[in-house]
Amino acid sequence: MVGPELMDSLILSNLRQRPTRTLISVSGVALGVILVILNTGLVRGMLNDRVRREQGLGAEIQFTRKGSSVLSPSSIMSLDVRYGERLRQVEGVAMVSPVGRYVQTGQSGLGFEQVDGIDFPSYSAISGLKIVAGRVFENEREVIIDEIKARQSKLKPGSSIQVFGKALTVVGIYGPESGARIKMDLIGLQNYLVAENKCTFIMIKVTAPSRQEEVQQRINTELPGNIVLLTRDISTGFGRAIPGIDGFVKAVLVLSTIVSLLVILLAMYTTITERTREIGILKSLGASKGYIIGVIEKEAFAISLIGIGIGIIVAFTAGWLIEHFTSLQLEFHWTWVLTAIVIGLVAGAVGALYPAVRAANQDAVKAISYD
Amino acid sequence: MSEILLTENLSMTYKIGKVDVHALRGVNLAVNPGEFVSIMGPSGCGKSTMLHILGGLLSPTAGRVIIDGEDLTRMSDAARTDVRRRKIGFVFQRFNLFPTLTAEGNLRLAEHIHSGGSRRSTIDNKTRHDILKLLRLENKMGHRPLEMSGGEQQRVAIARAVINRPAIILADEPTGNLDSENSDLVLNMLRELNREMNQTIVMITHNPEAAAVGTRIIEMRDGTIVRDSK
Repeated sequence: MVGPELMDSLILSNLRQRPTRTLISVSGVALGVILVILNTGLVRGMLNDRVRREQGLGAEIQFTRKGSSVLSPSSIMSLDVRYGERLRQVEGVAMVSPVGRYVQTGQSGLGFEQVDGIDFPSYSAISGLKIVAGRVFENEREVIIDEIKARQSKLKPGSSIQVFGKALTVVGIYGPESGARIKMDLIGLQNYLVAENKCTFIMIKVTAPSRQEEVQQRINTELPGNIVLLTRDISTGFGRAIPGIDGFVKAVLVLSTIVSLLVILLAMYTTITERTREIGILKSLGASKGYIIGVIEKEAFAISLIGIGIGIIVAFTAGWLIEHFTSLQLEFHWTWVLTAIVIGLVAGAVGALYPAVRAANQDAVKAISYD
Repeated sequence: MSEILLTENLSMTYKIGKVDVHALRGVNLAVNPGEFVSIMGPSGCGKSTMLHILGGLLSPTAGRVIIDGEDLTRMSDAARTDVRRRKIGFVFQRFNLFPTLTAEGNLRLAEHIHSGGSRRSTIDNKTRHDILKLLRLENKMGHRPLEMSGGEQQRVAIARAVINRPAIILADEPTGNLDSENSDLVLNMLRELNREMNQTIVMITHNPEAAAVGTRIIEMRDGTIVRDSK
């Protein structure tokens, strides 16, 4: 047997012989893999987390002004809470609860987090939110947080938390998760944002969930020009939830492929120049163009495999660290890991192709005489 | 006896700028199986060009080259490569071993290419053993080129050229980079290969002592053969 063992030996010895070049090539592929896995994981994690929490509100319908979205990271409170009174009079509406939403930088300085201003009695009646430790807020210097936030940030009743750049006191822990993980009194939020009688959206609980579309239609007729959204539609596809997110993911994929491809191309191109003489020797031994292309492509394949392995390990480790030390949520999915693997392999193969073909077409006599 | 190597009116002209340089001018040469031909001549007389054409690494401007019945000049580059793989072994002045592979690895690589990339070597163990013994390389197979002397490296290069039992070995100044002791050793081994294995060898050299090892000496000047001891 001289085939696979010999090729392995030739390829591995080449990789060992040029450790800097190997490290750069492997890093290039790994970077592409990390970009794909982390970015898609972050996008999925953040969106699904928010969608899940919006679903947890318990309201079938959300009412807001045009130009704002319950999912958009905006602190605009432009909706008059008195719309609540008019909505309550619409046939089929059981309960309403106004919610003000404020978006701030995450406590760790990375990402962002939301703060909901709520009317506790009506909000808890619709969402089923319950205080599991401590008590409900009683003034604008107090907040309640959900169990996940308490666990992630190691907070408990009596702890201090930064909101609006001020240290507010956590007085209670609630569950289950719904909406923002930090909640305070709506009037307190209005005071902080100087937005008296304003909110971001109004949660609407209908009397018969099976007829929520009819209620939605009725609200649209009676209060035209506003956004009347069924909560269940918020979860239909994470690509549509925030405009441009699909484009962002595609851009990450293309960028990752280009990065990996260019690094492999440059590294293999350099190595081909360095190894001109060796290619000349292969030609003098009677190696065909296909054989020479095969040797270089196998080397690129080995680099890609190592890069993919390292990329996956680094991406998952970084994901764990991000979740552990920031408020960002990541959700990995095997399809994206598979996509990252395919990108790594394709980038390696395509990136090495031009240098490989160039090597195979070198003039044998010049190559053997190359210094 | 049919020739193993035959050239007819072999000509090669290089164009350097607007000047035509005639490296070979109608060379006719016939080499029989088992011959050890030394080609001598000063630098620039065309001997290296001829060796490259004989090995299918270069195409002549005119004339024919027939190796073991196959006309290289009527072939595509891929077909010439295939003839080189099956029928020709090269030995170079600068050894040209793969520095990252051991001596064993270098030989295996040649076998792998010779077998057309097959998983199984076409070389039987006895042939392999006989060649290594003849070249006194049995204990050197685990060494990398940089761990060996010039003479040992050249012996590995000879082993690599002969391991696939080619129809002809083309040696380009095989002692050019060696001291006199190692030169003698390498030349003796080439002679033994020729005598004991009936290996056809064409060697170019500008050293008359090295040329004397051959069974036939050819002298070249200005792209033509001016003397043939046959």
